[in-house]
Amino acid sequence: MRSIKFLYLVSFLTMFCVGNANAEITVIVNQANSATLSKDDVSRIFLGKLKSFSNGDTVMPVNVSNSVATRALFNKSVLNKSSRQVKAYWSKLVFSGKGTPPKEFGSDAKVKAFVAATPNAIGYIDSANVDASVKAVFSL
Amino acid sequence: MRKTTLKSFCAAIPFIFAGASASAADVNLSGFATITAGSTTSSEELYDGYTSDLDFNQDSLFALQISSDLGDGLSVTAQLIARGEDDWEPAFEWAFLGYDISDNWRILAGRQRVPFFMYSDFLDVSYAYHWISPPNSVYSLPFDTFDGIGAIYSSQIGSVDSTVHFIAGRNQEELLLETGEMGQPDFKNIVGAAWTLSGEWLTVRAALFQAEMTLDVPQLTPLSQGWINAGYSDIGANIIADKDDILFGEVGFQIDYNDFLVVAEYTHLDLENTGQPDQDSYYVSLGKRFDSVMFHVTAGADDDVQANMMGNVSDNPAFDGLKAATAGVIASNKLENKYLTVGFNWDFHDLSTFKFEVTQFDDNIRDVNDATLVKLALTTVF
Repeated sequence: MRSIKFLYLVSFLTMFCVGNANAEITVIVNQANSATLSKDDVSRIFLGKLKSFSNGDTVMPVNVSNSVATRALFNKSVLNKSSRQVKAYWSKLVFSGKGTPPKEFGSDAKVKAFVAATPNAIGYIDSANVDASVKAVFSL
Repeated sequence: MRKTTLKSFCAAIPFIFAGASASAADVNLSGFATITAGSTTSSEELYDGYTSDLDFNQDSLFALQISSDLGDGLSVTAQLIARGEDDWEPAFEWAFLGYDISDNWRILAGRQRVPFFMYSDFLDVSYAYHWISPPNSVYSLPFDTFDGIGAIYSSQIGSVDSTVHFIAGRNQEELLLETGEMGQPDFKNIVGAAWTLSGEWLTVRAALFQAEMTLDVPQLTPLSQGWINAGYSDIGANIIADKDDILFGEVGFQIDYNDFLVVAEYTHLDLENTGQPDQDSYYVSLGKRFDSVMFHVTAGADDDVQANMMGNVSDNPAFDGLKAATAGVIASNKLENKYLTVGFNWDFHDLSTFKFEVTQFDDNIRDVNDATLVKLALTTVF
């Protein structure tokens, strides 16, 4: 919890800086993905409620594991849930056979590599790690 | 909880997993477990399977779920549960094939949970709700699974998520009768649907199901024959369950706002002409979270209504014996009670919770059944 408050403090301070370059996390998709996405769309994708992009392709969301700070920030600022609430949400779907949670990768670098290589993948990484191999959708 | 034995599904497994070749599908293994210890507070009290001796088996369970994504929208899922109350003998609770026809429609075929209640889908997953197990008054139907087809339609109405779950199937699992014997029911042509609407903090739900019930209850059969011989064949037919239509309805809502939780469900089971009373059950639960700790209180009741089936029987004393015997059997099935549960949860770990509950149970008909039950549990998912 302390690390989240610190991140919030940093985010708050960086709001006064110009441009997206100082945002904390960036949602990324494959370079070839032409779809448009709002924050609500991304939330619904990562909760298994939205299954296709606006261009018709099936979504493939990927999470970074819980041990990475980006995950907690994503849960809070995009999904509006704590890690535990996310786990409980997916438990209900998994144990009723109605859904499976997104794949998880151990680090931002692995998420970025997967999204760069998979046309319908969508993920999120620390804004500082964004490069030309992936397309940025929006930053928070 | 009724279940199918391992044997009956061993035959099905090769067919279920035949499609899951090592290269095409990934097989996922997950699970959940609950270890519960409980006891009543005095030696004369018996409630919910517990006595005043500390019991670790009654509600404890260990479950494994196997699922495999076979690609192209097809998946197979099975859940195996070993329950302490069944001597930890593992059995397949349900197993089905799922197929995503489109983004909105999903079809399920096999043995599945009947979506009777708000928590039916994850009935045994204590981690997914705040109690140790859902309230007894409502969550106590004779069966919770069926063999057949299910269809789930998911859509969005404005900013609200809508899910309609249709089912059609049958259940023939043996069940425990009031007398302690095992009965062989046939719940045929089970059809119905449950509709859930979820917004940001409010979820509302309504469900309606119908089935054709046949169940041979040993004490009622001779009474039924007695009535037929006495010239009252309609009473004879009404006190046994033989291809009789039964109806189940449920409404419920859940408010999960900031750290407050309010859940309530009301159910009505219409068992007219089966020799069983109609059952009205409900509960209201309130909870408040403080960081990783939660306090909750739940009040519920069972209120059965038995129509007078012998209203048109003549006053001839020759029928007194039959009337008394019939009334006696029917009355023994009638439930009228209320209970209050107070509980406390501690999420000491992201994947595990410690739960503590005390329930005061009041039987309005038979005071000897009044009891106070204390339960502690550790629940986890993995």
